[in-house]
Amino acid sequence: MINLKINVNNTDYEIEIDEEKRLIDLLRDELRLTGVKEGCSEGECGACSVILDGKLVNSCLIMAFQVNDSKVVTIEGLSEGDNINYIQKAFIEAGAVQCGYCTPGMILAAKAILDKNPNPSREEIRMGISGNLCRCTGYEKIVEAIELAGGYLNGTKTYRE
Amino acid sequence: MIKRGKGLAISYYGTGYGNGYPDVSNAIVRLNKDGKVSIFVGGTEVGQGAKTVFVQIAAETLNINIEDIILYSEDTINTPDAGTAAASRQTYNTGNAIKLACEKFIEELKAKAKEILNLDSTEGLIVSDSNVYLNSSKNDKVSFLEIASNVKNGFFESQASFTAHTVEMDVETGQGEPYWPYTFSACEVEVEVNTLTGIVNIIHARFAQDVGKAVNPRMIEGQIDGGFYMGQSYCLFEDLNIVDGKIMNNKYSKYLLPTSMDTIDIDKIIIEDPESTAPFGAKGIGEPVTIPVAPAILNAIYDAINVRINELPATPDKIISALKKVKSEDQL
Repeated sequence: MINLKINVNNTDYEIEIDEEKRLIDLLRDELRLTGVKEGCSEGECGACSVILDGKLVNSCLIMAFQVNDSKVVTIEGLSEGDNINYIQKAFIEAGAVQCGYCTPGMILAAKAILDKNPNPSREEIRMGISGNLCRCTGYEKIVEAIELAGGYLNGTKTYRE
Repeated sequence: MIKRGKGLAISYYGTGYGNGYPDVSNAIVRLNKDGKVSIFVGGTEVGQGAKTVFVQIAAETLNINIEDIILYSEDTINTPDAGTAAASRQTYNTGNAIKLACEKFIEELKAKAKEILNLDSTEGLIVSDSNVYLNSSKNDKVSFLEIASNVKNGFFESQASFTAHTVEMDVETGQGEPYWPYTFSACEVEVEVNTLTGIVNIIHARFAQDVGKAVNPRMIEGQIDGGFYMGQSYCLFEDLNIVDGKIMNNKYSKYLLPTSMDTIDIDKIIIEDPESTAPFGAKGIGEPVTIPVAPAILNAIYDAINVRINELPATPDKIISALKKVKSEDQL
């Protein structure tokens, strides 16, 4: 067992965890953040994506001991209480969610894109989400959602309540 | 060398289990104590949008807001059987069951309103915005909430069942009417085939889908996108590569699915031609949106390189060997 300090979704934790556990196990099993989805377990599908110190990573490929003193954002960290954030609103508005399994990872991939560039081209969006597989949507409405979220962010689009 | 080609395919698809197999959906509509309406139905949501369509059909039939409807589904204790979320049948079959149950429910509401308002007939009563009122005198009105408070014992509810028309085909002649209704699709693509690498890129795609009536156009677009993706994927990418009974491509690095870099935006055309036996004319399109995609792509490949690919997926190695075969035959 090892002790580690980690900040997840703006909360500090000190956790004792098995050396063999991965970041996804820490998030799902210890912190009960089950919005982090396990798909392929080998870094191919992107369902388990989280943002680690500002970078989008597959949480199935990172060991828990590697994240000591790090900052992690999961899908649960995007909303404030019942208020979902602008990317989540855009996904609903654009109809970008079907079965929903890729959605948490996809929304975090969108956040990673928009944090760097609030006005990405469709091609840049497609490049940015290419590590996240979606079986239902064919990606078009996801690209539209991220474009729309960019519009919310830079003020060219407003929420429809 | 890059060669371009265009391909078209059309298809028609029978909704439901078909061939005489019992295809039944059931629904219950119940008035809640707070005046809202609960729908109980066994239809399953797997991301296709069934729950949204069920609520829309109920709201349209009852003439109330969707906020005043609570849908219960996929709960085997509380919801009546509505068959599988398969055969593109939920919108049509379960949608019909919900509409029928709502229509019965309206008659029940009118009968109760007649009693409460001391009328001698239900004629001229209208159900709208969670109220029942007399068309000729809008003051003679009773709300769903008041009706609910008048229910003394048990539930105020209506049930309905819908069975799709289907006739078993004659095993000798193949004649009969196995499906009801049919749904029609057309797909058109333009591809670029690299004759050195064998890689096929789709550069334009257009898909036209007959939906009867578009209950939710945005979800229909989503289903067309998804169906095209599935068709493109099994036509060009997905290969289990079974050798001696063993799946060799057992991970996503080998069993390829298109990423966002492999797909394009699709020009989508929704065709509305209401089906007389369907709820508000609407038919399911879950499967039809996949069917013509692979043939359209294969036709486009043929148009580009003049070689027929007869085995899926049309991976680069198959395109290269087909081209080589033609070349060597030309030299003989």
